[in-house]
Amino acid sequence: MPLALRLRRLWRRAQGQALPYLLLSPLVVLLLAFLAFPFASLIYHSLRRTDLSGVSTFVGLGNAIILIREARFLQNLTATAIYLVGNLAISVPLAYFAAVLISSNRRGVGVLRTLFLIPWVLAPIVTAVLFKTLMNPSSGPITNLLKTLFGHPIYLTLTEAGSRALIILHSAWRSFPLEMLLIAAGMTSIPGELYEAAKVDGAGVWKQFRYITLPLTRTSLFSALLLISVYTIQDAEGVYALTQGGPGYATEVTGVRLFKEAFLYFNIGLASAIGLALIVLSIGVIILYLRILGEGERA
Amino acid sequence: MRRIRLLWAWLGTLFFAVVIIFPVYWGVRTSLVPNANLDLIPSSITFEHYRALLAAGFLNNVKNSLVVSLGTVQCTLPIALLAGYALARFDFPGKRYSVVLLALPLLPAIAVLVPLILYMRTLGLYNTLRSVILASTVFSLPYATWMIRGFLLSIPREIEEAALIDGCGPMRALFLIDIPLAAPGLIAVGIFSLISAWNNYLFSFAFTTKRTLQVVPAALLGFITAWGENYGGMNAAAVVAMLPVLIFFLTFQKWFIQGMLAGSSK
Repeated sequence: MPLALRLRRLWRRAQGQALPYLLLSPLVVLLLAFLAFPFASLIYHSLRRTDLSGVSTFVGLGNAIILIREARFLQNLTATAIYLVGNLAISVPLAYFAAVLISSNRRGVGVLRTLFLIPWVLAPIVTAVLFKTLMNPSSGPITNLLKTLFGHPIYLTLTEAGSRALIILHSAWRSFPLEMLLIAAGMTSIPGELYEAAKVDGAGVWKQFRYITLPLTRTSLFSALLLISVYTIQDAEGVYALTQGGPGYATEVTGVRLFKEAFLYFNIGLASAIGLALIVLSIGVIILYLRILGEGERA
Repeated sequence: MRRIRLLWAWLGTLFFAVVIIFPVYWGVRTSLVPNANLDLIPSSITFEHYRALLAAGFLNNVKNSLVVSLGTVQCTLPIALLAGYALARFDFPGKRYSVVLLALPLLPAIAVLVPLILYMRTLGLYNTLRSVILASTVFSLPYATWMIRGFLLSIPREIEEAALIDGCGPMRALFLIDIPLAAPGLIAVGIFSLISAWNNYLFSFAFTTKRTLQVVPAALLGFITAWGENYGGMNAAAVVAMLPVLIFFLTFQKWFIQGMLAGSSK
């Protein structure tokens, strides 16, 4: 075979092998430059303290030690935990109920599915404004409703417990649609004969749910829990727009603290350390869910 | 027994309908009446809050939002399409690391943003809309790529192979065969990125300090802290922020839902 032909073949093969890398290169370059590199510099900045004039000094684990010793950061983590647990406790039952409603074969369920998804589609800042308006102390319809129900005014936005309830209700309202969508997708794979057989055996609605629906939607439930938990742990905008973390630090979740340190106090070092803590927390939650799910599947 | 069940279904539906629609309705209502008006169904409406928004230069924020969200889609789609094509149609060493794309959206954008601000300053992009488009594109890419990969995988490979045998190169096959066949999927990705970018306040809030450069949600966040009790004004801005999303979502909901499921279940 002449050398020229051989070379040309070699070139063509190399081209064929290089093509996928060439196609991927814009994506990879952008992700490396604007995700991986900032992430690495997050670690770098978390070890330094930068003052407003831009002078940066190495402090090692100084920022981490400040956070660990600080009562406020402990309060941030506690608020995050309450926010997460409260959100899941309200949104998951709602999501199951809604998923059953949109999975039935009555007419018009398609419209219901669309309607039920609306809270998830709207921006958190927008829904926070809507909730703020509903609960505002002077003229909110919910405030007035609570007043009529309990005989004395209850101001959700002014007390610690009330603000906690407010941010939890808001995020549960926003979270249940995605959970519903995933759970309903899991429900479609359950064969209808199972329910028929259960009915023949005399199982009621609750038993059917407990012994058929719940175990067979386990995987979808866990992917929903994973996504919503991660989003809730990281949430800053919904909470900041509703309460700015107050009253006091009652609703200052980790995301809001990070938001304040980074964008209001320009405390880059401490903000980076909190950012790292948030990443570690998210990864921890992801691993936890994957592990529980894996164990369930082995058992 | 059947009757009781049907009753429960109707009660449940009613409950959800009220819980979802009432906050939205009350927001629209509040934006259309004077602040002191508390009627459930107001007898007359006013556009004073919207006029006040116009006077405050809110139109500029709407324009910024359009530039940013359309710009994001314009940058995201071609890059994600090429990468998704590589992942769907080629086998190459290192391909298995592409699962990272699924994990990236789970990381907190707000954390990576801190060093990104310093970065944008160095690049001279701080206080420009381009920085917002850039960040918004980077954060929408992993999900968009994964979705497009899925849509391309669902196209039978034989169609493309027939074309390749007839002497068509892989790039021509992408443009002549895959893109037309995956068009609904590409539209789904486009709509998903568009709504996500329109709703995002964070990049604009972090990279721009001038009010004239802010997108709608970022401006809205400013109103919340600055306007205190002016609920009419706040809700008027919220309605402007949510109206395009609602119209888009209701028009393209099938594709949008497809997009949501594609990214979270596989």
